[in-house]
Amino acid sequence: MVFKGLECHLRKGEIHLLLGGSGSGKSTLLRMIGGLQQPDSGEVRVAGRLLSGLREHELGEIRKGIGMLFQNGALLDSMSVLENVGLPLREHTKLTKPEIAERVKQVLHSVGLEDVEPLLPRELSGGMLRRVAFARAIVMEPQILLCDEPFSGLDPLNVSRIEDLLTRLNEELGLTIVVTSHHMASSLRMADQMILLRDGACIAGTPEELAASDDEGVIGFLGEDGRAFLALLHEMRDRGPGSAASEDRV
Amino acid sequence: MIGLIRSLGAQATALIAGLGRVANFGGSIVIALLKPPTRFGFFIRALYDAGVLSVALICLSGFTVGMVLGLQLYTTLTRFGAEEGLGAVVGLSLVRELGPVVAGLLVTGRAGSAITAEIGSMKSTEQLDGLRMMAIDPVHFVAMPRALALTIAMPLLNGLFIVFAIAGAYGIGVSVQGLDGGVYLSGLESAVRFGDDVGQSLLKSLVFGLLLGLIATYKGHSCSPDAQGVARATTSTVVTASVVILLSDYVITALWDV
Repeated sequence: MVFKGLECHLRKGEIHLLLGGSGSGKSTLLRMIGGLQQPDSGEVRVAGRLLSGLREHELGEIRKGIGMLFQNGALLDSMSVLENVGLPLREHTKLTKPEIAERVKQVLHSVGLEDVEPLLPRELSGGMLRRVAFARAIVMEPQILLCDEPFSGLDPLNVSRIEDLLTRLNEELGLTIVVTSHHMASSLRMADQMILLRDGACIAGTPEELAASDDEGVIGFLGEDGRAFLALLHEMRDRGPGSAASEDRV
Repeated sequence: MIGLIRSLGAQATALIAGLGRVANFGGSIVIALLKPPTRFGFFIRALYDAGVLSVALICLSGFTVGMVLGLQLYTTLTRFGAEEGLGAVVGLSLVRELGPVVAGLLVTGRAGSAITAEIGSMKSTEQLDGLRMMAIDPVHFVAMPRALALTIAMPLLNGLFIVFAIAGAYGIGVSVQGLDGGVYLSGLESAVRFGDDVGQSLLKSLVFGLLLGLIATYKGHSCSPDAQGVARATTSTVVTASVVILLSDYVITALWDV
């Protein structure tokens, strides 16, 4: 049993950061939101719809509005980058092949990749593979984006690029984003809400709330450095939007 | 004693539940077959993998089996002064039994195991979950084209196996042992009937292909998502499909003559 008495609400249009130690159930929770796993008891609702008991095609309808980035990318290894990223478009839209190719090119460009369309996943580096997987997750412009360790294996430049992209998607399209990450700095900068999974339950709040929390679990997980970082971040946010660039140097 | 009965009961329940899951999966494949899109491109690719890439193995094995059959049967028939019957015996044994069964077992080892390993590996790397999250049914996208390809490829490979085996037996019986070629071919032609023998052969290979397609894709889909699970599923496909082919061979043979 991973969760016991877990109750958490993810608000529409916000970036949520799932925190917790290894084996605390972060990926399991993401899979439950995506309907890939069902809880033994209790319920998961996405956009008000109860996922338990739904048939696969009914779940499919809900999943059309969800993009998911898996930890290892989960790209189809027999298909090229173009085919992988274009697959949801080919399946669920009436776009022509040239239109799909153009859209794929745009999305790949937004994650910092050029001219990789003919390559197979095995020909990509780890970082490129994750970015292609990210491109596939957002190509349909979903309303909800689930990201399992989106920054893992990326160099600082690409961490910053993906962070900017996630923030932009959230701000411009109102995407609800759920991120699990060990890359604390990026995750904390983006997060509107933090959910710390501990002992099968969760402690949720804004970064500022968690920074001020006296809960032993929060203090234990974030540590003094994390809390100091949060406090500093809080200060910078108060100063206004112009402070974003300087946060990189925190 | 109670423990033994309980254990037998648990095993029987597990077996029935397992058969139910296979039947359910088979139903999903049939439904997928009827649903658009047709996945024609994937089907052709799977047909190439299962069929075309098995051609060399089937031809070589068929020719070798035919050579052995020619040698053994010629020696045995000579004892009874019935060597003219070589063509008839080779033809009947190959068309009715050896062709579909040996081709079925060879395709199981080469293509069936490969399909299970491929799907199992897709499962362990979350590719199947990735498809689900894109609202794409993995049975429709992955299993259906492969199962269909095996069903179509099997009768074709069976035919190829029989042709090469007949040629192998001809090579030994006629070219090496000195039997008249006309006698061999006329014996073959008069003994093998299209409706009864070739029909039975085609039916058997079609059923074997269908069963192998179902077993190979089911094992891949249901394996535990790790290296050991994929290895176990691959082995299980070969063992299960081989036993099922041999059992269903008997059932079809018995029912055909009823």
